[in-house]
Amino acid sequence: MNGLWAIVALVAFPGGLSLLAGGLAYEWVDRKLLALFQNRVGPRWFQPLADTVKLLAKEEIIPDKANKILYIGLPIAALAGGLTAALYVPLAGLKPTYSFPGDLIVTLYLLSLLTLCIGLAGTNTLDRFSMIGATRTLTQVFSYEAPFLLALLGPAVAAGSWQISTIASYAENHWLILMQPVGFIVALIGLMGKLEMPPFDAPEAHTEISAGALTEYSGRGLAFFHLAKAVELIVGLTLVAAIYLGGVSNPLWFLVKTLALLLTLIGIQSLFTRLRIDQTVGLWWRYGTILVLLQWLVLILVKRM
Amino acid sequence: MKFGTMLSDVSSSLFRRPATENYPAVRQRNPARLRSFLKLNPESCTGCGLCALDCPAKAIQVTMLDRKAKQFIYTYHADQCLFCGQCVETCNQDSLSMVNDQWELAALDKESFSVVLRDVDYAAKVLAEKPASGSETPAKA
Amino acid sequence: MTTNQETERFTISIGPQHPALKEPGSFQFTVDGEIVTKAYVRLGYAHRGIEKATEQRNYIQDLYLLERICGICSHIHATAFCLTAEKLAHVEAPPRAQAIRVLVAELERIHSHFLWIGVSAHEAGFDTLFMYSWRDRETVMDLLEGLTGNRVNYSANVLGGVKCDVDKEQKAAILAGLDFLEERTRHYFDVLTNDSMFLQRTRGIAVMSRNQAEVMGALGPTARASNVARDVRVESPYAAYKQYPVNMMLDTRGDLEARFVVRLNELFESFRLIRLILDTLPESALTVRFPRRIPGGEAVMRLEAPRGELFYFIKSNGTDKPERVKVRTPTISNMTSVIKLAVGHQLADVPMILAGIDPCFSCNDRTVQLTNARNGSSNTMTWEGLRQHGIEFYGGKRK
Repeated sequence: MNGLWAIVALVAFPGGLSLLAGGLAYEWVDRKLLALFQNRVGPRWFQPLADTVKLLAKEEIIPDKANKILYIGLPIAALAGGLTAALYVPLAGLKPTYSFPGDLIVTLYLLSLLTLCIGLAGTNTLDRFSMIGATRTLTQVFSYEAPFLLALLGPAVAAGSWQISTIASYAENHWLILMQPVGFIVALIGLMGKLEMPPFDAPEAHTEISAGALTEYSGRGLAFFHLAKAVELIVGLTLVAAIYLGGVSNPLWFLVKTLALLLTLIGIQSLFTRLRIDQTVGLWWRYGTILVLLQWLVLILVKRM
Repeated sequence: MKFGTMLSDVSSSLFRRPATENYPAVRQRNPARLRSFLKLNPESCTGCGLCALDCPAKAIQVTMLDRKAKQFIYTYHADQCLFCGQCVETCNQDSLSMVNDQWELAALDKESFSVVLRDVDYAAKVLAEKPASGSETPAKA
Repeated sequence: MTTNQETERFTISIGPQHPALKEPGSFQFTVDGEIVTKAYVRLGYAHRGIEKATEQRNYIQDLYLLERICGICSHIHATAFCLTAEKLAHVEAPPRAQAIRVLVAELERIHSHFLWIGVSAHEAGFDTLFMYSWRDRETVMDLLEGLTGNRVNYSANVLGGVKCDVDKEQKAAILAGLDFLEERTRHYFDVLTNDSMFLQRTRGIAVMSRNQAEVMGALGPTARASNVARDVRVESPYAAYKQYPVNMMLDTRGDLEARFVVRLNELFESFRLIRLILDTLPESALTVRFPRRIPGGEAVMRLEAPRGELFYFIKSNGTDKPERVKVRTPTISNMTSVIKLAVGHQLADVPMILAGIDPCFSCNDRTVQLTNARNGSSNTMTWEGLRQHGIEFYGGKRK
């Protein structure tokens, strides 16, 4: 990778600033479509950007007994994890900036790093609501992580590689959504769990625990977590679209496929009520795991033949 | 075992305009019985002060200067008013009514809310003449 | 309110400011992981001294003051005051006025139950149902605005009758609105009793047996969902309920789902009642002369607010101002059930349990007794004594 292109990719396009802008744009689509599904108007296009700018301009209040280094460092680590994960997925339909065998696992773990940072941030602030929120966040990670990972590894087994660019090019010729439909469903629902969308938003159930793990965050820290979540949205969508929906070979397909996936997610999000954390865990460890293991069984049998 | 029972609502909403009214660009018709600003019929009002007595919010002030000559100042404080309509009911001369279209009453200063509803010039003359006298200038309750 | 690391139990406080509460109230739950082990409530944040304020205003002004105790049960408070005052003055409002009072009361019940469906759905995280039920609530508010002149705090009552009449236009508008609302209610009934994810949050949760309901003093739909057959409109009919009897809606299960079902059934009953009233509205005057000075005496009146039994007591002394007005609203009786039922449930169920009684904190802050939080003592003071205490407390001299 030549040095200048690497820097441009990290800072401007397709990573860095344009990724942040794209993340905020996708967040706007999420909020606007959700509003339209609920028969109301929804925010204008610059609302997520305005929210971020406002948060960056606000005073940051650090709780007395919290560890200052962790308090300030965790949002940065979360955003860094999200931005780094974006380097390995085919953003905007272009080839991933960096690619090596096994980068699927690395990407997934970088996305989990984001959630882990949120959980740690909640525990660090020593507030009742944050601690309950952090417990729920981490519990939820333990519940959906295994089925989600297995659902994304199914196509990896079919493609014979754990490298995202290889799987994506394999997917361009074989539409994996048709070959592994159950895996697609588990991946889709798993993505909702990762993004903490209803029905899996128990960690930030604002009618029970204010804002969950991020209750005590304000100003710059909250802005970074907010941006990290927006980046996670785009990266997650790209990953599932690239693997299951026949690859993202050019920018137009990228937009169409990720937006179609987002539309489905928003539709599902508007139909369901929030599950309690024990119901979420029960759902995932019962139905999620069984479905994905069944899919793997079929996959292995087909591979043998 | 049904999932997603709101699907019919959610999918039909995509083809319908949002239920939110785009105020102030679009204004609905005012209902006929909406209670907004008070209106006084200056001819029939006798200055008896029953409306001021019965007002729950002390929004009406009747300052009697000469009962025989029917000289009094009738002040209505729109910022205190509850728009309950009791004054309309109480009035024995049927002099009061509430219009139905003056409900956008926001203002930047408090003074503009206190309105004299009858003989405005006479009231202004009286107020200009006796600025500091306690009994004759209508002080805010 | 401390983090007790050794026993690993927290005290979570919901309130006085909390996204789950629409009005202030302080709940403290001691949790062990996610299970609630102890519950404690402290109310009084919305106390405005209304009962004391009624003593300095005449009966006509008090009508509007008491109407503003609550926003969603304003008409029933005003009706209660009118009926009690009319009892004291030995005046009976004409039949058409009584029927219109019942009409507005039932419309208000519809308004309140639609609002409640939305709020409970929001507490459960079902925002879509929240948005749709509040959109439909706009229809009933428009009906009330067309009939009485205001969307909340309708001021339809005057002492001795009502202010607003129902003419042909109003009747047609109300009937059309009711058709729309009935269709929506049927849809919500289907959603609330069949949606499996919502049922996971309501079925079998916060079960209150009939005995428990009676011992804890639960009222209204909360009690009727536990098979307690109490409804003031049926037991001691007031206003026009003698001419338009109501069927009691009961449910035997006693859980959250039962409370939803009871309120939805009450909606259907309200639709039927309003259509009947509009068809058979008696012809008479709208008001009757009401004296300014009411003879001395005491009167008591019980009514069925959307949340349960509302109790009014007025003591008059021959002047045009009441001597004492006492209001007991249903929420304060239902609050005990929240505290008792929350123990043993998960923290995530607690907002739903609170929403299940349809709490109205502005209603419930009618002081019973003040207790000094520091040393647990409580004493009663006269008005003069309180005034002196205030002067001394703020550094003035004792007169």
